[in-house]
Amino acid sequence: MFQKILIGNRGEVAVRIARAARERKIATVGVCSTADQGAAWLAQMDEVVCIGGPSPRESYLRLDRIVQAAVQTGATAIHPGWGFLAENARFAALCEQHGITFIGPSPRVMEMMGLKSPAKAAMRAAGLPVIPGSNGLLADVDEALTVAARVGYPLILKADAGGGGRGMRLCTDDASLRSGYASATAEATAAFGNGALYCESYLTGGRHIEVQVLGDRFGRAVHLFERECSVQRNHQKLIEESPSPALTQDQREELGARAATAAASIGYAGAGTVEFLRAADGRIFFMEMNTRLQVEHPVTELVTGLDIVGEQFAIAANRPLRLSQMDVRVRGHAIECRINAEDPSADFKPSPGVVSRMDLPLTLGSGTVRVDTHVAAGYEVPPYYDSLIAKVIVHAESRPAAIETMLRTLRAAKVEGVATTIPLHLAVLESPEFARGEYDTRSIPGWKPTKVRV
Amino acid sequence: MAKVPLSEIGSSRDAFLDAATFAKNRAAMQQKDADLAAKRAKVALGWGASYLERVHQKGKLSARERVDALKDPGTPVREVGTFVNHGRLFGKLESPAAGVVTAFVRIENRWTIVIANDNTVASGSWWPRTPEKIERAQEMALRLRLPVVYLVDCSGLYLPEQSASFPGLTGAGHIFKKNAELSHAGVPQIAGVFGDCIAGGGYMPIISDRVYMTESAYMVIAGAALIKGAKSMHLSSLDIGGPEVHVHQSGCADVRVPDDRTALAMIRAEIARLPSSGADYHRHGAEAAMPHHPASEIEGLFPTDYRMTYAAEEVIARLVDRSLFWELFADRGREMIVGVGRVDGLYMGFVANRQGVIDDPEHKNAQKPAGILYREGIAKVAAFSRACNADGIPIVWLQDISGFDIGVEAERLGLLGYGSSLIYANSTNTVPMFTVLLRKASGAGYYAMAGLPYEPVVQLSTPIARQSVMEGRTLAIAAFNTKLDDDFEIASKDPRERAEIEKGMRDTEARIEGDMDPYKSAAQMDTDEIVSLGELRGWLETLAQCAYQASGYRTLKNPRIWSLHDLAALSEPRG
Repeated sequence: MFQKILIGNRGEVAVRIARAARERKIATVGVCSTADQGAAWLAQMDEVVCIGGPSPRESYLRLDRIVQAAVQTGATAIHPGWGFLAENARFAALCEQHGITFIGPSPRVMEMMGLKSPAKAAMRAAGLPVIPGSNGLLADVDEALTVAARVGYPLILKADAGGGGRGMRLCTDDASLRSGYASATAEATAAFGNGALYCESYLTGGRHIEVQVLGDRFGRAVHLFERECSVQRNHQKLIEESPSPALTQDQREELGARAATAAASIGYAGAGTVEFLRAADGRIFFMEMNTRLQVEHPVTELVTGLDIVGEQFAIAANRPLRLSQMDVRVRGHAIECRINAEDPSADFKPSPGVVSRMDLPLTLGSGTVRVDTHVAAGYEVPPYYDSLIAKVIVHAESRPAAIETMLRTLRAAKVEGVATTIPLHLAVLESPEFARGEYDTRSIPGWKPTKVRV
Repeated sequence: MAKVPLSEIGSSRDAFLDAATFAKNRAAMQQKDADLAAKRAKVALGWGASYLERVHQKGKLSARERVDALKDPGTPVREVGTFVNHGRLFGKLESPAAGVVTAFVRIENRWTIVIANDNTVASGSWWPRTPEKIERAQEMALRLRLPVVYLVDCSGLYLPEQSASFPGLTGAGHIFKKNAELSHAGVPQIAGVFGDCIAGGGYMPIISDRVYMTESAYMVIAGAALIKGAKSMHLSSLDIGGPEVHVHQSGCADVRVPDDRTALAMIRAEIARLPSSGADYHRHGAEAAMPHHPASEIEGLFPTDYRMTYAAEEVIARLVDRSLFWELFADRGREMIVGVGRVDGLYMGFVANRQGVIDDPEHKNAQKPAGILYREGIAKVAAFSRACNADGIPIVWLQDISGFDIGVEAERLGLLGYGSSLIYANSTNTVPMFTVLLRKASGAGYYAMAGLPYEPVVQLSTPIARQSVMEGRTLAIAAFNTKLDDDFEIASKDPRERAEIEKGMRDTEARIEGDMDPYKSAAQMDTDEIVSLGELRGWLETLAQCAYQASGYRTLKNPRIWSLHDLAALSEPRG
């Protein structure tokens, strides 16, 4: 097993990885930007290397400096966390080139699953249902019309290289498809230098259900069941839970098995998440695969009793999976709330500043409470990075007990100095829709968006 | 550290080249590509649709259709010598592709060299240069130990031109010598015989290990027309030398098949019995990957005026996997870039000419033009070439060079000697070398950068290649030297004399400019193939796979023990 690991990330995830390393007597090297230098959470690392200026482009996204930091400190593996370089195949290849094990899947698999079209094709070949639409990229508008004739409207055109909503057009008939095709291609070419499009049925009222998988480097994979992540704002998750209230036991076992099979079929090694969309009529479709550890992984850890980061280390060290699928069982129910330093009543405007008080009680049962955070009182939230300051994850014997535990904890929480999303979490958890497990990605249950103050 | 420390090379296009110039460069290049595509299409038609129709009427396929049926679906055919005899007339006749298709073809996941007589051009007979073209392809196969597939459909020499194709050192007979050399070196050769194979055509398949004959094929030393009594006995060439005779009675062929498609299927099965490619074994833990900065951008990097510069690093960045590269001796001989990258996951050495200006190491605060060879650059390239050869790292020479430095200092420093040392290294190297004439390929620079006279395995030219002993302006200056002053301006003040000299110089330039046309060069076999800049990365992938396919014939050190590490260690800055 590696004797020293470099953590190529910051904040909460860096602390999480460092904890897993410490528990296994693995030395840790942290990296930091000048903006993070001196932060209290860096004390969790055995060594720290400053890698550049405050903006991510000057530091946390500098492939060369992070590899250099590992080389000069003698770290033999790098855990990239999530975000930043976690899904950067060039970075993974550069690590391996320098004899440093990248804790994650191979660059090729990461790259394949990082592009919409190849990922969809690979998963379809592996037997997963995919959203009806074009078979790969569209050759021209005539092909798009043919697809539309087959799958019907509404249809969404998407840019293969797309992101941030650009190069996307919702089409409701042939006429809007024709005009949408031309403008989407043009927009994508201008934004990404690549005007290739594909199209899919447009499904509304869906639920985001994702399956955690673990694969080893010997072709085996198991699933760790699913997480429900439909409480979202602008595609950012706010509350996650496991198991999903929308699935029966049979459904969850089947979905998990298919995800594991798909992961094994592409040679996926490491921890990964297969995301599905469950349509209003109950049909489930593959959406995308995240080839990294995810923010909401603690939800799965609490219901299965497993340490996913620890499993990542073992897999990266070429250990065969010690788990068989039969060993994996869900006990009870877990819910996570992402506490961001944002003001939900001001359209989630980021709220940087000093956290003067950070009291998150751990003992208000009936369930158990886990808090994953890098923040203590006195910490100044830097403006350069994401606004996550803590994750509160509860585990209880039943869903209602978990909701009750979370409510008690958040109501008693005192986080001061910055605005937080706690009021939103409370509103959701108190809502009857959430209590019934009836919600989807269209709206946040119990919360009405307020107008932005001009 | 005995690691191969690749690091990021290149930048995003918009960081160094504005969109408008990029678009302009690209548009100009795409015009040349369109011209190339049109010329290729014309060659592919052979002597035209009616000849193709005739072939089909006999129940046969054309040479190119056979190649298509032979190859793995979806794989590219990398043709060489497409333009041999381009623009040349024999009487009134053209000889497109010299009547033979020679190409790297992927069959059952192995690269092979396919040599297919073009039965739509004079029944596949051999023109002047056809033997040289076939021998060149055989040489490529020999150097890389690639299996050879002969698709024989050849009525012998094109007789009216026999004096230029029969007798000499590289005449038709030399094809059979190369057959023998290939066999002697253990290179598998398979022949499919599809038609009238007379004389040379009859000899072509015999040395091959396995010979397939279709029912309409015959092999004869001489056809029935020259056999006394054949007419009265109603003997045809098929009777004399068809499969009935050669598969069963003489033993000169092995298998008889009903038609072209069956022959090709059986040849595929034959290739599948051969050892599989060693390439994956030599990827050393990496997988094939595309450049991070897209190869498709190369087309827009080159200015429309050949005298203007571009960043050579940005070209390399778009040719190597993930745009990762290990440059050696970065701070010495800055007019050259040498280093290692992966292509399709396989290590290749690269030598490229930096463009623009560099600092002069001999004169502080002075600068001098790059794209030329000076002492340190020559020394660095020679050392790199020797090390790659010792290590078994195939070398890609990316040429855009004006020549050597000239003048008092150049001679005093002994560039003649340093240059000769480099030439010696390249001449005696056994590691596969591949040369690409990106743009300027001038004079001794063309030689130093392993141009064709130094027998790289393949030399490719782009449509903007300029291959000649010197640039037109330089030659004009040399020719009219007595009329020019110290700054190479016309000395005379007389307007009529000036006009005469100016015209003379322009004519001289124009003639050289004509000589530099890559199609002219390809016609004469002074380059192996013309490829667009957009195809370059794909070609290098093929060449890399070819260079690592066969095992046991060449040095191939594992990267831990490369000589390059010694060189890198000795050139690391101290402290």
